[in-house]
Amino acid sequence: MTDRPTLDILQLTVTLRGGRKLLRDVSLKVQPGEVRALVGESGAGKSMIGKAVLGILPPNIKPTEGEILLDTHHLNAMTPVTRRRTVSKIASLIPQDPLTALNPVRKIGPQIVDPLIHIHGWSRDKARERARELLDRVQIRNTDRVLQSYPHELSGGMRQRVLIASAFAPSPRLIVADEPTTALDVTVQKQILRLIRELQQETGTAVLFVTHDMGVVAKISQRVSVLFAGRVMEDAATEDVFRNPQHPYTEALIAATPSYSDLNRSFSPVPPALIADLHAKIAAEEAAS
Amino acid sequence: MADTTLTAPRSRNRGLNLRFWLPLFWVVLLILAAVFAPWVAPRDPLAQDLFLERLPPFFMKGTEPGYWLGTDSLGRDVLSRMIYGARIALIVSFTAATLTCIFGSVLGLVAGYFGGWWDTVISRLVDIWMSFPPVLFAVLLVAVMGTGLWSVIAAIVLIDWTRFARVIRAETLVQARMDYVDSARIGGARRISTLVSEILPNVLPSIIALLTLEMGIAVIVEAILSFVNLSISSDDPTWGSMIAEGRGAIYFAWWVLLFPLIALFLTVLSFSQLGEGMKQRFDPVLQ
Amino acid sequence: MSVDVLTRPLFSVRGLCLSFPDQSRKPLFGAAPRIEVLKGLDLDIPEGRITGIVGESGSGKSTLGRVLVRLLTPDAGQVLLDGKDIAHLDEDALRPLRRDLQMIFQDPMSSLNPRHNVARIITTPMKRYGLGGSHADALAALERVGLGAAFAERYPHELSGGQRQRVGIARAIALKPRFILADEIVSGLDVSSQAQVLSLLKDLARDMGLTVAFISHDLSVIRHLCDDVIVLNLGEILESGSVEQVFDNPQSEVTKTLLDAIPLPELDPDWFD
Repeated sequence: MTDRPTLDILQLTVTLRGGRKLLRDVSLKVQPGEVRALVGESGAGKSMIGKAVLGILPPNIKPTEGEILLDTHHLNAMTPVTRRRTVSKIASLIPQDPLTALNPVRKIGPQIVDPLIHIHGWSRDKARERARELLDRVQIRNTDRVLQSYPHELSGGMRQRVLIASAFAPSPRLIVADEPTTALDVTVQKQILRLIRELQQETGTAVLFVTHDMGVVAKISQRVSVLFAGRVMEDAATEDVFRNPQHPYTEALIAATPSYSDLNRSFSPVPPALIADLHAKIAAEEAAS
Repeated sequence: MADTTLTAPRSRNRGLNLRFWLPLFWVVLLILAAVFAPWVAPRDPLAQDLFLERLPPFFMKGTEPGYWLGTDSLGRDVLSRMIYGARIALIVSFTAATLTCIFGSVLGLVAGYFGGWWDTVISRLVDIWMSFPPVLFAVLLVAVMGTGLWSVIAAIVLIDWTRFARVIRAETLVQARMDYVDSARIGGARRISTLVSEILPNVLPSIIALLTLEMGIAVIVEAILSFVNLSISSDDPTWGSMIAEGRGAIYFAWWVLLFPLIALFLTVLSFSQLGEGMKQRFDPVLQ
Repeated sequence: MSVDVLTRPLFSVRGLCLSFPDQSRKPLFGAAPRIEVLKGLDLDIPEGRITGIVGESGSGKSTLGRVLVRLLTPDAGQVLLDGKDIAHLDEDALRPLRRDLQMIFQDPMSSLNPRHNVARIITTPMKRYGLGGSHADALAALERVGLGAAFAERYPHELSGGQRQRVGIARAIALKPRFILADEIVSGLDVSSQAQVLSLLKDLARDMGLTVAFISHDLSVIRHLCDDVIVLNLGEILESGSVEQVFDNPQSEVTKTLLDAIPLPELDPDWFD
């Protein structure tokens, strides 16, 4: 691909107040129309990357080195206010927990429409029209009733559809999907994954897809970054990763994922020896630098 | 596959917590003063000397040595009266607050955990009780029961148990829904032992915070009752009665009013801060 | 390795019905309408085997589990344990039975008392049933689940998710029960911790001859762990049998859909079609 990437992260280091580095030298690109999976176990820093891009890191965590290029914008060089304005126009988030991501005391309608008016400067009519169109697109029947309901009146899958509609409504260049299906049943998960994939392909949006599930990685992504302890272990095309994983940790993660079709492997956790080995290597590198 | 990784190392050393130590210092000082009042107080708190009336405190002109915080309009030593007043303030606050706490918390725990009829009866009672104006209620009670230490304590318990019952009931309701309660049933626990050894430790931080708050409130209620002359016999020095007496002379002997007021303020503030401080210091979950 | 020998059922459930009041549709006066969660279930849980109970959320699988260990009382029907109906026993009559019917919870944070340390969490039920309960017993139970002695003094919030879940297992097995209900015990865990907890459960079940009911929505996990499986949908049993039967030749559409919806960790360009 010779396209300019939608998102280009160069040697990003993110530091906790006190000096601990939560991400170290993370580099990755997401091309337009591409889904890049970020996979790793909890504590690997996979969600941190999405948060750093969107500028929603907790106040005690700061990007300290490296660059984030979103479209043509150098995000780390911007003031917080311009950064927030720029990012909210180009990128959106599909969050993990569809219940807490929606304000429980406001109706669904304004929660989709208001950002389109206030951030993107659309007219109210245009925003409403777009909200209907998107809800329709994510296969919500009875659009008007849903726009008039409160979040608690919808099921988990419905709420996640609403959030997907809301994320795609302003036609963003980049979507960060932060474990969007973790809280859902498998059958609903499949529907949601299918929706994200379809919408993403129709609009050519780049997606940064955070997940801990190698199965989801295999189905949704074209490229994948495997993370461990805040570092990228492997960055490759998804096809290559499953055909021929280069890094032993990647291989172990795939092997640890249960599969009903493959009865030979059964509950093989990532070997503790491998983890100890990786930690030792990291410590050695750290001491050397 | 022995797992020896301990993710969160225990740290109990989090520097000096002023929110805990400063109030503790004041309360301990107060307790010592109250216990050793006869030895600590420079004068007899009741001794009148009309030749020494309205002496100013030590840092002003025209003082008499030994009368550190001046004298009131009958020539009684303000500091000594405050020290003796601390006795009554502390006895009332500890006794009344503890009794209120036990009575209200037990009802709150029972209503929250056993639910059903228990809850209906206790909650309705709380609702009805809370619709009486509290100060009027206290004044009426003492007026009927007669003045005296126990009347004051009884008045405080009867006014304030609802505060405990309501908060602890709500807290218990939340805890009763947690899986560890079901897990205790699975482990063969009786209902009452689940309440005492599983739920109570989780409600205890709230109880302690309320208890210390209540100690402060008890000091205030006692002062209010003293102020309207409905507390202990008018001879005994209390902060409330000192404030009441000082009120008349506020323009020419402000110290008679101000010092007991400061003591009252510091004590109430210390109790409420101590509750928060203790919660942070002794709660394993917050450490 | 299908076992054709008819093993004796530990649990026989007959005509099990349960409903909850629907508070959201309660009229101003009168009782709230009831939602039927379990609609007349008949099933057996064979002794010494691991039975998977699978279904989507709302299928009633957790409710069924909670009826088996009698955290819930059914509206109607029988729950026969060794042929004796425990469906309507009161708490006092249940208490002696509870030692044999243990449970591991979905959320290990909420199921471990945050203000008790690990040793106390494990030994309290042991003391109740006169099965010891010394510090040494706690350490022995911890060792069986692969946790070192240092964990005895820890509080739940100081542990990782996988470690908490192992403490939950230690508490259950310390009573040497006959039956363990495992309710979605790995749904919040990383793949690695998931694999550790599951292989631990499998080993313990085999070594102790436990009967296990394993509730999950993840058919991959069920396939690897369980001997038998029961598929629930909207409070009814769609199919049941050995895992080989059900996985190799699923009878109901729902089972097929469930199987089809699992994202396997392998490339499959046609998966979405």
